[in-house]
Amino acid sequence: MNYLEQYVNDVWAYSSRYNNIGSYSYAPINLIGKYERYPAYGDFPETYFLRTYGKWWKQSGSSQKCYRFQDCDKLVEDFVIVGFGCAVIPTDICIYEIYNPGAIIRIWGAWTVDKKWHLLWEDHPQKCDPVSRKFCPSLRKLNCLVNLIRIEFNSSYLEYHTAIDAILLGGYQPETNLQTQLANKGLLLLQPSSNDTPNVTEKEDSLQINDKDYFSSLPNEIILKIFQYLDLKSLSRCAQINKRWNTLCQDQTLYQCISLKIYWHLVDTKAIEYFRKKNINVKKLDLSWCDQGQVYGQHILNSEYYIQLRNFLDEIKHTVTHISLNDNYFVDNNIMNVISSCHDLVELRLHNTLNWHRAPLYFSTKLVTLDLSCTHVQDLDLIKILQSTINLEHLILDLCEGIYRMDLVLRVAIEHNRKLKTWSSWKTTSFSLESIKLFGQFLDLEELDLGWCFITNDPADCLSEIARCRKLKRLVLSSWRSVSDEILLPIILSCKELVQIDLMGIKGITSEICERALYMLPKLRLLDISFCDDVRQDEVEIWRQQYPHIKIQRSCQYTSRPTLFH
Amino acid sequence: MHTLFATGRLISRALLNGIHNFSTATDPKLQQKTEPFLVSAVCGFSKERKIQRLVKGQFGDDAWFSAKCKSADVLGVADGVGGWRAYGIDPGEFSLHLMKACERLVNLGLFTPTNPSELLANSYYELLNNKKAILGSSTACVVLLNRENSTLYTANIGDSGFMVVRRGRVVRRSEEQQHYFNTPFQLSLPPPGYRADVLSDRPDSASTDNIPVEDGDVILVATDGVFDNLPQNIILNELLKCQGERCAGRLQMVANSIAWMARSLSFDETFISPFAERAFANGINTIGGKPDDITVILATVAM
Repeated sequence: MNYLEQYVNDVWAYSSRYNNIGSYSYAPINLIGKYERYPAYGDFPETYFLRTYGKWWKQSGSSQKCYRFQDCDKLVEDFVIVGFGCAVIPTDICIYEIYNPGAIIRIWGAWTVDKKWHLLWEDHPQKCDPVSRKFCPSLRKLNCLVNLIRIEFNSSYLEYHTAIDAILLGGYQPETNLQTQLANKGLLLLQPSSNDTPNVTEKEDSLQINDKDYFSSLPNEIILKIFQYLDLKSLSRCAQINKRWNTLCQDQTLYQCISLKIYWHLVDTKAIEYFRKKNINVKKLDLSWCDQGQVYGQHILNSEYYIQLRNFLDEIKHTVTHISLNDNYFVDNNIMNVISSCHDLVELRLHNTLNWHRAPLYFSTKLVTLDLSCTHVQDLDLIKILQSTINLEHLILDLCEGIYRMDLVLRVAIEHNRKLKTWSSWKTTSFSLESIKLFGQFLDLEELDLGWCFITNDPADCLSEIARCRKLKRLVLSSWRSVSDEILLPIILSCKELVQIDLMGIKGITSEICERALYMLPKLRLLDISFCDDVRQDEVEIWRQQYPHIKIQRSCQYTSRPTLFH
Repeated sequence: MHTLFATGRLISRALLNGIHNFSTATDPKLQQKTEPFLVSAVCGFSKERKIQRLVKGQFGDDAWFSAKCKSADVLGVADGVGGWRAYGIDPGEFSLHLMKACERLVNLGLFTPTNPSELLANSYYELLNNKKAILGSSTACVVLLNRENSTLYTANIGDSGFMVVRRGRVVRRSEEQQHYFNTPFQLSLPPPGYRADVLSDRPDSASTDNIPVEDGDVILVATDGVFDNLPQNIILNELLKCQGERCAGRLQMVANSIAWMARSLSFDETFISPFAERAFANGINTIGGKPDDITVILATVAM
C-alpha cells in the first residue's frame, strides 16, 4: 500500500457560500488544490468563506426555528463536501484554516462506490487564537476507502467569518485490485480498528438491572408523554424493547413534527416509506440535507427515493404547515407543484435548491416565511408568488441571480405584502436607485439586507427614504462603495431601534459617522466596519473600550508584503 | 486619468534599481508532442529609484502574470494609471489585483480558452467582488495560447501590447487604443465622487484578435514603457535572437536586454523615442525617452 497525500480535486456540495455564481472570490472552488495564502492570516478572497458567523443571523426573526426540539442538533450549521482524486484508507486530514479557526466540528468520509458515510472525527467548536492553523485532528481508525470528505461547521462561537484555504487528505492507497476489493469489504485490516464494544459492555455492566419493571406499570398516556422528549434515535431503540413499547413508539402523536436534518446520512427510501406507512398528520417537516443525490454524486437522482418523497409530501399536504427542504437536489418542478397545494403552509424554506426552474404560480395565503435564497427563481414567478402570499412577513432572496428586475418585484411586494418585516436580498444586483427608495414604504420593516446590491452606483439620497422605516433593527449595506457620511446620517438620526449595522467595504465613511452611530443608537450591538479604510485602527480600539457591549468588526487583508531589503 | 507625462524626469543612471526576474520553463516531457506550449521569461523595472517593495508579479505600477492550465497557456500585463497617486490611491494595486485575478481564474479553469477578453472582464468583476475597495485604473493586455487549435487569442485594452514575430518578420502587432494622446483606454474603479469625471472603458471594449501560431514563433507582451521607448526595429532585432528558443535561460537573457534597453533609453534626454515622435505628431514639442515602469514578457511557441 502506498501512502498518498492529496489536495481537493473538486467540490461536490456545500450549504453556504459567500460568492456569486461564476465568481471565485470567497467561493468553495478555492478549496481545490494546494493552499494559496497559508500561513498568512486574514480575510482573503482566494479562500472559502462561510456566509454567516456568530449568533447574529440566528437573532433574526426570519431564522429557522427548530421543528422538533428533540432532534435538533444545535451544533451543525453548515457543511461542504469535497472530492479527492484517489480513494484511500484515511489516516490524516489537514485543514488549512486561515481566518478565525475553530468552527469545524465533524469530519465524515465516504467512497463514491459504496456511498456510505463514516464519521471520522467529531468535537465541539473550539475557541482559537487569531492565527492561521493547520488543523490535523486525530481520526478514528477506519478500514475502508474514502474519496469524499464532508466537513461540518458550527460558526456560532466565531468572532467573524471563518476561511479555509485547502484540505489535505492523507492515507493508504491500495495498489492492486485485490486490495481494493478487500478494503471495500472492510477486510483489509491495515490499522487496528477502534472497537467500540469494550465501552458498550462497560456501560452495560454499570447498568443496574432491576428485577422489577416500574415503567410497565405506567399508563400509556404517561409513557407517551415521556416518549415525546425522546429523539428519533432513542425512539427507534425503545421500539425494540417489547411489543408494548413498540406499539407506543409508533404512536402518531410522536411524529407530528419531523426533523431529519441531523439524520441525513441515514435517511433513505425505507425511512421515508416508514413514515408514509404510519399515515400521520405531519405538521412540520424538515428534510434539509437529506439528499440521496449528493451521496450518489453527480446529482443522479435515486428515483425510488424521489418517488417516496414526492408521495410522502403529497400525503401530508393537507396538514403540513412548515416545510424545510434546504440544500436538496430532489426538489424539482413536480415537488414544487406538490408544495404549492399545501394549503396551510406557514413556512417554506428552499435554500440552495437548484433543480427547479419554474415555480408554481401561488403558495398558501397563510405563508409567513419564504426562503428562496440561492435558487434560480425568476422575476415573473416570484411576482406571482408575492401576489398570492399576502401575509408574508419574511422574504429571503439572497444570491438569487435569476432575478433581473428586482424593481418590479419590489413594486409588487409593496402593493401586496404590506406586512413584510424582513427583506433580505444580499448579493442581488438588479436594483435601481429609484426603487431602493420604495423600501421607505414598508413601515413595519425590521430587517433589511441589501449587502453588495450597489457596488458602483451612487446611492444619492435613497438612504434618507429608507430612514423612514423607524422599526429597522438590522441594516446591511456591505460594499455600497459610494456611501459617505452625509448619505448615512439620516439612518443614524432616525432609526433608533437599530441593533446590527453592516458597513463593510465602504471606503467613504469616516470615524465621525461611526462615533455618532455608537453614541446615538442605544440598542446597537453589532457594527461591521471592516475594510473601511478611512477609519483608523487606533480609534476603533478606543471605541471598543468605550462601548464594550457593542461588537465592532474590523476585518482586513493583512498585507504583510514580503520585503527583500530590510 | 492618464499617465502623467509631466512626472519629473529622472536622470539616466546606470544604477540598477529593481531587477526582478522570473522564468517558467515548461517541462517538455509533460507535454504531448502535438500540443503547443509557451516557454516564457519575464523582466522589468520600476521607474522609481527607491524600491518600496518587491512583490512577485509587480514592477512599480505595472503588473504581470503567467499561468497555464490543461487547455491553454496565458500571459498578461497591466499598467496601473499613475495619475491616481495624487488622490492617495496606489496605482499599482489595481493592476496587480487585476492580474492576480486573471491568474487565479486561469488556474481554476474558470475561463474560455478562446476568449481572453471575457477573462479580462471576469477578473475585473472579481475586483468588484473583493471586500476591499480596490480603486484605480489600468490598461491590460492578455494573450492566450489555445493548445487545441494552436491559435493565439489576444485581448487588449489601452496602450500595453503584444507583438508576434515569425521568421524575422512581425506578423501581428496590437493596436493602441487611445481616447486622445497619452490617454489610453482603461479599466477603472474610480473612488466615489469622481465617477463622472473619470474615463472608464467597459471590459468588453477590449480589442480582440487571434492568429494561428507556428513552432518557433516569438511573442512579446509588454507595457507602454517598452513600446514608447524602443523603436520597433530595435525590438525586432532582439526578438530575432530567440526565434525557436526553448531554453528559458537564454530567453531570459533576451528579455533582460530588451527591458534594460528600454530602461536606459527612457532616461535618455536626447533620444528621439517613439513616444517623442508621437508627441511631436500631436503638436507637443518634446524629446527624449519616457520614464515609465517597464515590463517585458517574452515567450516562444514550442510544438
